[in-house]
Amino acid sequence: MAPDFQQKDPDIQEVADLLADVASILMSSGAHTMRIIQNVSRMANTFGYQMDLSVFQLSMMMTITGTDDQSQRVTLIKKTKPLLLNFTIVSELSALSWDTFDKKLTFNEAKDTYQEIISKKRTSNSLVLFLVSCANAAFCGLFHGDFYAIGLVFFATLIGLFARQKMIGKNVNHLIAFTASAFIASLIAGLAYVFNLGTTPDIAIGSSVLFLIPGVPLINSILDIIQGHVLTGTARLVNACSLIVCIAIGLFGSMLILGLEKL
Amino acid sequence: MITLEILSSVLVDGMLAAIASIGFAVLSNPPRKAILISAILAAIGHSLRFFLINSGMEISMASFVAAGTIGLLSIIFARIIHCPAEVFAFPSLLPMIPGMFAYRTILSLIKFMQSSDSKLNQTYFMDFFHNGMTTVFVLFALVVGVSLPILLFPKRSYSVTRKY
Repeated sequence: MAPDFQQKDPDIQEVADLLADVASILMSSGAHTMRIIQNVSRMANTFGYQMDLSVFQLSMMMTITGTDDQSQRVTLIKKTKPLLLNFTIVSELSALSWDTFDKKLTFNEAKDTYQEIISKKRTSNSLVLFLVSCANAAFCGLFHGDFYAIGLVFFATLIGLFARQKMIGKNVNHLIAFTASAFIASLIAGLAYVFNLGTTPDIAIGSSVLFLIPGVPLINSILDIIQGHVLTGTARLVNACSLIVCIAIGLFGSMLILGLEKL
Repeated sequence: MITLEILSSVLVDGMLAAIASIGFAVLSNPPRKAILISAILAAIGHSLRFFLINSGMEISMASFVAAGTIGLLSIIFARIIHCPAEVFAFPSLLPMIPGMFAYRTILSLIKFMQSSDSKLNQTYFMDFFHNGMTTVFVLFALVVGVSLPILLFPKRSYSVTRKY
């Protein structure tokens, strides 16, 4: 009796919930639409269902239908969380979907692995701060900035990114957080002008805000548009472009304060 | 002519790009082994672009070639470490973002808005247009260049996390 019970197909509601969770967490971790659809439908097929999914920026709709029994059918709409890039989750959920398909994992095994994957901790904020500051300083070096510029960019990034992390943590609107962070970072880098440090103060200001560039949404949007998910791709593109405009506004503000005659 | 001087500046360029890409990779919380790969790819891509620009190629074309190379290599590496290609293809592109052109675009825009001298305004407007166009074209060259390999080999790029 017991082994027979284990072989039984899982309840359609539970399957739908798990699949919707996987899809929404993939969306908020920064996977592009094609990958989300492929991963989730692969899992659905293994559990014996067919899936139709449409993903939007703030919510997603999903219908799963039993492959053998067409009358078994669940449709649900799920909110997606705001974007918080996490490629470890994308990579491991993608691996999980193949594992489910190849090893014929049962529903409960898949669900346990899913819980394990999403409960992993992120890299600590202070380590991220340090590495991103080094990265932006190296960026300044790539543009042939001198040592004053590189040093200033390091501290500008450190303080700017710290401010952004704190603001995002306090649920400030992300556009405002980006503008403020760009303003702070470029103002600190602009100290090179105020105190006449080095010969390349313009490079310091120009590269101090580059750590904010939303590269992943930009690339995802182009991938989506080319693969035919034009609506989602456009939404991502508009999002990325509005962030870039916010960075420009922050930079603009600090340049006005520093005075343009010198720039 | 490839001289020792050019070779050493290409190497320094690659090193800086690798450091930059490690930092930007960490922002998106990737798996540990992917960080190393993205540093290698960034070094290859950026020094390739540096070399192409030095030998006279135009910047957006050079960015396109470098981004395409990164995209192709990332699919190969993706199969080796079982991790989606875009996880390390994205951060390794970031050091090529045309930051100084973007900065000069904004600078000339502000100057254009504040000045009333029509002679100067002409040069500011030319600056604005030239820098802005370069920024947009390089950005698109990068993005399209890196996604082309993923689009050309869809089977390959969507099954890299398969272990059997």
